[in-house]
Amino acid sequence: MRVEHYNRLLGMMASRRSVLKGAAGAASLAALASSGALGTASSAFAADMSADELALRKQILQIPGVGKGQPGDAEWQKVGEMVLGPTKANVKQGEFAGVELTFMGLNNQGQHNFLYRGFLKPWETYTGATTKWIDLAQADYNARLQQAVATGTVDFDVIEMGAPFEGDVCGKGLTSEMPDWVKTQLDMDDIVAYLQPPVGTWNGKQYRVTVDGDTHNFNYRTDVFADADLAKAWDSYSDDKKGLTKWGVPTTWQQVQAVTKFLKGQKFQGNDVYGYLDAPKPWGGFGFYFLGSRATAYAKYPGDKAFLFDEDMKPLVNNPAWVRAIQDVLDALPFEPADQINADPNTTGFSQFLAGTGSMIPWWGDIGSNAKTSDSSVIGDTVGFSILPGSDDVYNRKTGKWETLSSGPNFAPNCAYLGWGVYVMARVDGDAKKQKAAWSAAAHLGGKDLALWTAAYPSGFQVYRNSQHNIDEWVSAGYDKDFITSYLDSQFNSYNHPNAAVEPRIPGIFQYYSAAEDILANTFAGKMKAQEGADAIAAAWDKLTDQLGRDSQIKLYRAALGMT
Amino acid sequence: MANTAAAAHFVGQFDSIPPQRRLAGRLLIALGSIGFVLIVLLQAFDAAGIVRIGFTNWRPTLYAYGGWAVLLCVGLVLARGQRGWRALFILPAALFTIAVAIFPTIFGLSIAFTDWNLASLSGQKFNGIDNLVQAFHDPFYINALLNMVYYVCAVLVEYAIAFCLALLLNADIRGRKFWRVTFLLPFMLSPVAVSWMVGKSMLETRFGPIPRLVRWLGVQTPSFFGDPIWAKLWIEAMNAWVSIPFVMILLLAGLQALPKEVQEAARVDGASAWQSFWQVTFPLMLPVSVTAIIIRTIFQLKLADIVITVTAGGPGGATDTVSSFIYRVYSDRSNVGYGTMLAMIYLVIIIVFVTLVLNFVGRRMQRMT
Amino acid sequence: MTTTAASLPRVESRVAARTRWLGNKLLIYAALIFWAIVSLFPVYWTITTSFKTARDVQLGHLLPWIDYQPSWIGWKSLGLSPDTIGTSSPTRDEFLLRFTNSVIVGFAASALAVVLGSLAAYGLSRFHYKLLWMRNHDIRFFFLSQLILPPVVLALPFLVLYKELALLDTHFGLVMLYTLTVLPIVVWIMKDQFDTIPMELDEAAQVDGLGPWGTFSWVVLPIALPGMVASFILSLILCWNEYFFSALLTSTAAKTLPVLVASQTSSQGINWWTMAAVSTAAIAPLAIVGVILERYIVKGLTAGAVK
Repeated sequence: MRVEHYNRLLGMMASRRSVLKGAAGAASLAALASSGALGTASSAFAADMSADELALRKQILQIPGVGKGQPGDAEWQKVGEMVLGPTKANVKQGEFAGVELTFMGLNNQGQHNFLYRGFLKPWETYTGATTKWIDLAQADYNARLQQAVATGTVDFDVIEMGAPFEGDVCGKGLTSEMPDWVKTQLDMDDIVAYLQPPVGTWNGKQYRVTVDGDTHNFNYRTDVFADADLAKAWDSYSDDKKGLTKWGVPTTWQQVQAVTKFLKGQKFQGNDVYGYLDAPKPWGGFGFYFLGSRATAYAKYPGDKAFLFDEDMKPLVNNPAWVRAIQDVLDALPFEPADQINADPNTTGFSQFLAGTGSMIPWWGDIGSNAKTSDSSVIGDTVGFSILPGSDDVYNRKTGKWETLSSGPNFAPNCAYLGWGVYVMARVDGDAKKQKAAWSAAAHLGGKDLALWTAAYPSGFQVYRNSQHNIDEWVSAGYDKDFITSYLDSQFNSYNHPNAAVEPRIPGIFQYYSAAEDILANTFAGKMKAQEGADAIAAAWDKLTDQLGRDSQIKLYRAALGMT
Repeated sequence: MANTAAAAHFVGQFDSIPPQRRLAGRLLIALGSIGFVLIVLLQAFDAAGIVRIGFTNWRPTLYAYGGWAVLLCVGLVLARGQRGWRALFILPAALFTIAVAIFPTIFGLSIAFTDWNLASLSGQKFNGIDNLVQAFHDPFYINALLNMVYYVCAVLVEYAIAFCLALLLNADIRGRKFWRVTFLLPFMLSPVAVSWMVGKSMLETRFGPIPRLVRWLGVQTPSFFGDPIWAKLWIEAMNAWVSIPFVMILLLAGLQALPKEVQEAARVDGASAWQSFWQVTFPLMLPVSVTAIIIRTIFQLKLADIVITVTAGGPGGATDTVSSFIYRVYSDRSNVGYGTMLAMIYLVIIIVFVTLVLNFVGRRMQRMT
Repeated sequence: MTTTAASLPRVESRVAARTRWLGNKLLIYAALIFWAIVSLFPVYWTITTSFKTARDVQLGHLLPWIDYQPSWIGWKSLGLSPDTIGTSSPTRDEFLLRFTNSVIVGFAASALAVVLGSLAAYGLSRFHYKLLWMRNHDIRFFFLSQLILPPVVLALPFLVLYKELALLDTHFGLVMLYTLTVLPIVVWIMKDQFDTIPMELDEAAQVDGLGPWGTFSWVVLPIALPGMVASFILSLILCWNEYFFSALLTSTAAKTLPVLVASQTSSQGINWWTMAAVSTAAIAPLAIVGVILERYIVKGLTAGAVK
């Protein structure tokens, strides 16, 4: 139906990409100057799109329409049909007849793979290929993948995988290199800067079709921080307010700590109110990101990419910056709800914050996308977003001193996990038809217009393209302007922050996190002092680096950070 | 016990078997064995690349094993008559178990003595007893082992409750079917569901029904998993909730099997309910009890799901179990060499422990009967 | 005077006995009701949660229609609510495929385990064996030892084994493994059961000219049936809820239900309602089997034991 639109669009693509390149450059410049300027930069993308494309995108966003209930299979198929244009430009009808692909991915809450089933159905009808699905629970995912790789039981052609695992999979030559026609179809330059290569590549080869972006942002309760009674109490609060003279949202970790202490024992709308929520309970390695979010502002010095390890893979986790973050958790825990020691990020995010307990948490974008849909949260509209808090002083690991920057507090958003991607396995490479089919499917799922829809509706995927920062599109789809501006800015300003902390993609990174979680759990339970715990983590990490092969780890680490 | 003598009596029987039949039986077994070995060798040579036959997988070996097992059984019956028939009772289960378990056991042992992290590019490296040494210096492992002492002791409490429930269900009550199925229900819920529905939802400190009940009883800020001792108790409570029905059903079947005359005789003697239970029912129930406790203990020693989901071993390792720790090492950290060694050490400890318990109980029971 | 004095204590004792009997009954029923609540409340919680929206879950609402308005949310997400039952739904297809696989694998493995296990248990109960160095006691322990290793460390061995045997993602492979894991339980339970059946029965049958297999099938088996049913139910439940190997060894064709429960939670939150609906749907067949087979656990056994 819309083939002609797309053919026309494809013709225009070359010229548009050059414009985009310029705009992306401008965007990062703008981010350097001031993080708030990004909104204007992004509208350049909207202006760049043709009227036809904008109309199509608008139409896509109307399925089923924000506030019209959760979309299901019918909607997924409809959207998949509408974004089929780029595929039709590259693939003839029925070209993949007889090809059967096996797709391994997550089946989190009936999302991920289930959406993909729907999105791919029109693709299957058009191309003639069929797909079989391997659905995994997120908790099993890492082990299953590692064990499949180790025992040679890779029984899938396409996989949904997070960038941190690229070292384990792409590094072992198991994935297929992206053909150039896919790069063109995907409009790769539209992807936000921090997810550009080296992310998605290994040894200079492009492997990943990005479908998701990830960062920790800062979620807070707008109603709590606008409450008059609390403001009055804050005015008469005698402790050190760390520069937060008027009651409002903290912007530094020092203020977060002060507010958390202050709120203990206060009432809000007749209930106990709490400040920041820590997540001390291990969570399969993912919990370490939450200490990371507290630590990056202390540990990530502007212009220095290293914050987990130094250039020689010596752990930095026991330096004063990280120890201070651990100590912060220890200091804050007594002021958090009872049982907080047993809360993992899942609890803090979905059982506590969205249910109305606590007023500040760091999380991935899922909190924001969940908060709004009325039947999945209690707090509803009363959430605001920003990038993670900063710190008045930052630790410079090279001089070994805490420094106060002339530009003000040091911000360093924690771009945790780098999002999901779709990868094609190398086992299809022997069969040209299957290879093209697999890449076509991956490109369909990584398409630009599909991305707009997956970010706007429950899908498990966040924004990852600059073209998704067009506030007008979201508003016309039914989103509240203030809410969506606050939300999108918190995401994009983290992605594009000049001092963003981007985790290194080295093999076994989750093993480092998991080992650290165990020791941190003991530290938070009071079995060790902060420094002792940090030293124990550093020792465990060193041992792990030795086990994984120190020389190769150092090489890969430096490559991942773009060092030589 | 009573039947040992009788069993010995059975063994004493021999039937005369014609020599030809005996020969045929032995021949059959020999043939089967040769065929099986031949196919295994062929497959091995093929896999090693010495000969080219073109096997795509090891299925032929599986089929050959099956064929050999059948020939073995037939051969035994032919060669040994009655004794062969008797062997036939145990052979299928034994041959089956060996078939499925032997390879993983050998493979597991071969992993246990290597340094193998799946994320390591250099792969598997033999490292002797390094893993063993490391295990005994691993504070997390030692802590988990000590926690298991608590969890195993808790089995006795589960057993006591289960026994009471079994007695209740065995009493003269109306609507037995309802009570029985009701009491069995908790066991049917999957551990994953229990961890979430009970551990996370019902115990949610602010809105969960149990905290609300506790608050109503007067405790202001209930904390279930913040304190090490309470955390241990609550984990075990959830675990007991799931497992008690298992023990209960075994004991109930045992109670139902008890000869009614014995209990009636005790009652006629004027024994009180307590006396008749303690002196008649309980001793008679000992064999079933031992089985129930042993099986339940072994399951308890593998406790992991609930701990992983609800506390991840916290606070500060208070609820950690060996299995959940091994799970973290093996699955989360892909450190399969070390993880397997941890499990092997555990296996040895358990075998020694269970053997000791069985011997002790065996001697006690012999004295009692 | 004397007559009344003699009869009074008798009346009193009858009244006392009557009250004691009543008291006992009351105590028994109180205990039954208490434990029924303990058993049922979490199940009730699970079932009702499948009808709760996130708000109702998080605020811990208890009573439908009073605390909260039940909705089909959990069942809808599975494609099993009244309004979605007629439409196409990939989640329902997925659920039904997994459900069918669970039924096939669970029943096949439990049945196989009960057959193999009962035979072995009868043998162990009645005859003396010597397998290599192992005698009866050791053989029984050999079966039990298969139960001890934490499943997680068998991941790599079984992956390699099943890959080489081309058993990955097959029902057959899963049935083999599940049979192995429940076989020890069946052997131990059934050995106890056979031990309680008097040897005289066997001997009588032998006198009648029945061989060991004839004795087993015609005389012992009918009596031991309740024990077999009990071990079948226990095995079925264990197989039905097995999660680890199912997640490891299956991918598209043989995948089972428990994985679906676990996948309702992730870094995108928790779908309480779907998890509850899957759990509820997963208990239902077990409960039905329990209700149907419950009577066999009890009846025949007593008959046999009294003889």
